[in-house]
Amino acid sequence: MATASGGSEFVDKFPDEAAIVKASFLIAFVSLGIGAFFGLIQALHRTNVLRVIDSADYYTVLTGHGVLLAIVFTIFFLCGVFHWAVARSLDRPAESALFSWAWVGLMTTGTVLATVAILGGFVPNLGMSADVLFTFYAPLQAHPIFYIGLAMFIVGTWLAGADWFLSYRAWRKNHEDERIPLQTFMVLTTMIMWYVSTLGVAVSVVFFLIPWSLGLIESVNPLLTRTLFWYFGHPIVYFWLMPAYLLWYTVLPKLAGGRLFSDPLARVVFLLFLLLSTPVGIHHQYLDPGIAEGFKFIAMTNTMFLLLPSLLTAFTVVASVEHGARQRGGEGYLRWLGALPWRDPAFTGMALAGAMFAAGGFSGMINAGMNINYLIHNTLWVPGHFHLTVGTAVALTMMAGSYWLVPQVTGTKLYSRPIGLLQVIMWFVGMVFMSNAMHRAGLAGIPRRTAEPQYQNFEFLTPIGSIFELRVQIALGGTLLFLSVVLFLFNILLTSLGEESDRPVDSYLPEPLSGPEGSPRVLDNLAMWTGIAAVLVVLAYTLPLAGIIQNGGGLFGGGLPVPATVSAGFDLVATTVTSAFNTLWGVVA
Amino acid sequence: MKLTKARALILIAFSVPVAIELRTVAGFFNVELPLIAVAVIEFLFLALLFVLYGLYGEGSESAA
Repeated sequence: MATASGGSEFVDKFPDEAAIVKASFLIAFVSLGIGAFFGLIQALHRTNVLRVIDSADYYTVLTGHGVLLAIVFTIFFLCGVFHWAVARSLDRPAESALFSWAWVGLMTTGTVLATVAILGGFVPNLGMSADVLFTFYAPLQAHPIFYIGLAMFIVGTWLAGADWFLSYRAWRKNHEDERIPLQTFMVLTTMIMWYVSTLGVAVSVVFFLIPWSLGLIESVNPLLTRTLFWYFGHPIVYFWLMPAYLLWYTVLPKLAGGRLFSDPLARVVFLLFLLLSTPVGIHHQYLDPGIAEGFKFIAMTNTMFLLLPSLLTAFTVVASVEHGARQRGGEGYLRWLGALPWRDPAFTGMALAGAMFAAGGFSGMINAGMNINYLIHNTLWVPGHFHLTVGTAVALTMMAGSYWLVPQVTGTKLYSRPIGLLQVIMWFVGMVFMSNAMHRAGLAGIPRRTAEPQYQNFEFLTPIGSIFELRVQIALGGTLLFLSVVLFLFNILLTSLGEESDRPVDSYLPEPLSGPEGSPRVLDNLAMWTGIAAVLVVLAYTLPLAGIIQNGGGLFGGGLPVPATVSAGFDLVATTVTSAFNTLWGVVA
Repeated sequence: MKLTKARALILIAFSVPVAIELRTVAGFFNVELPLIAVAVIEFLFLALLFVLYGLYGEGSESAA
C-alpha cells in the first residue's frame, strides 16, 4: 500500500481533489439528512405511533427514503472516498479537474431531477410523481424526469470511474513494473464490477422505461425490467459495501494501532466480488413466475459462493484489528478487545458496523436460500436485513469514516469526539431495536412496503412477546437513528466551519504486514478478470433472459412478437449452450 | 483494566441486543421470561456498571 500522504495533509497536497471530495460529501450528507427524516416519518407512521402524512403519501416518502439513502448518499460518498483513495495511493492528482467537476455536476443534476420528480408526489396538481420505490421496475411507472435523472446519475458514475482509470493509466506510464497500489486496486475492481452491472439498468431505463413513460411505446415486459433491475440490484449492494471494505481494510487497522494483515487476501476478496456479484441477481426473484426453477437454483448457488469473500474479510479485518490491539499492549484470548481505541468514534463506528454486518450476513443467508426465502419473502424481515447491511455496515462505516476523512479534506479538526462517539453508539443501539424487531415482525408475516400493516379481523402473532412490543421497538429505533443522524450532521457541519489546523488528523497509513510482493502478479491483470466476469454473466443470464423475452410477450410485452432475427439469435445461443453443456457433461461422466 | 467512559458505553450498547433476545434464549430452555423481568435484569446490569465505574472508572481513587 502506498503511504504517500504521510508527510503533508491531503488538502494541502491535492487541493483540487479535496474540493471534489468535499462537494461529493456535501451532497451525500444533505441526502442523508432528508432521507433519514423520511425514515423517521415511515417508522412512526407504519407503527401507528405518530401519523403526520396521509397513508397515500407513504409511498412518496418511502421512495424518497430509498433513493436518497440507498443511491444518492451511498454513491456520492463512495465517489468522494474513491477520489481521495486514488489521489492518495497513486500520489498524483486527477488528470483533469474540469473532468472531475463534470461528473460531479452530471450526478448532481441527475439527483436534483430524480428528487424533484419524487417530491412532486406530494403535490397532486403538479402531475408529476415517482412513487415507484427504490426498486423502480415496471409495472409501476414514474414521471420521465425521474428516469432521465437516474440515467444522468449513472452516466456520471461511469465518468467518475473513467476519471480514476485515467489517473491509473497516467501512473502506470512511470511505474511499469510496480503492483497497483492497494486502494487504487480496490477502486478499479469495484468500478469494473459497476460497469458490468449497470449495463442492465441502463438498458432497462434507456430502452424501456424512458420511452414507456414518454408514451413512445405502449407497454413493456414487466418481468424483463424486473430482471434487468435485479441484474444491477444485487451488485449495487457490493457497490455500497466496497467503500466500506476499503475503509475496513486500509484505515481501520491503522486506527486500531496496527497494520493490514494481508494485502494479497484483500486483492483476492475484491476480485471475488468482481466475479461473483453480478451473476446472482435472480435470487431476488425466487417468487417470480416466468423464470425456471433451475435458473433460480443456479443463482442461489452462486450467491452462496459470495460468502467466501465475506468470510475472508471477517478473518483479515479482525486479524488486523487484533494485531493493532496487541501493539497497544492487549493480551489474552479476548482481553485484547479492551486495548482497542474505543474513545475514537472513527474506530468504534467502523468496528460496530462490522459487528452488525455479521448479523446482516446471517439474515442474508436466509434470504438467499431458495426454500427458506419463501418464509420471509416480501415481509418486514427484508428491510430488517438491509438496514443491517447498507443501513449499518455501509452507512455507519461512512459516518465513522467521515470523522477521519472530513478533517483531511477541510484541514480542520473534528469538532467533538465525544459527540461522535455518542452518535455511533446511538446508531448501533437504534439499529438493534429497529432491525431486530423488523426481523421478528417478518417472521410473524408482517408485510413490507405497507403504510398500514393493521388488518381487520386478523392479528399477527409472535412466539415470544407481542406485536405491540415490536412496533414500539421499531418506532424507538427509528427515532434513535434519526437523532444519531442529526448529531452526525451537527458534528460534521461544525467541523467544516472550524479553524484550520496544521495537522487535523494523523493521515499516515502503514504498510501491510504481508505486502503484495509475494502474491501472483495475475491478481493485477484487470483485463483478464473483466473477461471472466463477463463470461460468468453471459452464462448466468443468457438463457433466463431469452426465456423471459420469448415467453413474456416479447421485448416490449403486450404480446408484441419478437423480431425473427432476434428470436433466431436466441435459438442459436440456446442450442450452442445446451450442446456445450452436453459435451462437457459427457467428458465429466 | 480501567473502565473508561468509552468502554462503559460499549458495554451498554452490547447489553441491548442481549436484553432484547434474552427471552428467546430463555425460551430455548422452556423458561418464559416476562418483559418486566428483562427490564429489571437490564436495569440491574446498568446499576452494576454504574457502581463499577464509580469504583474503578476514570477519575476514581482505585483507578488512580
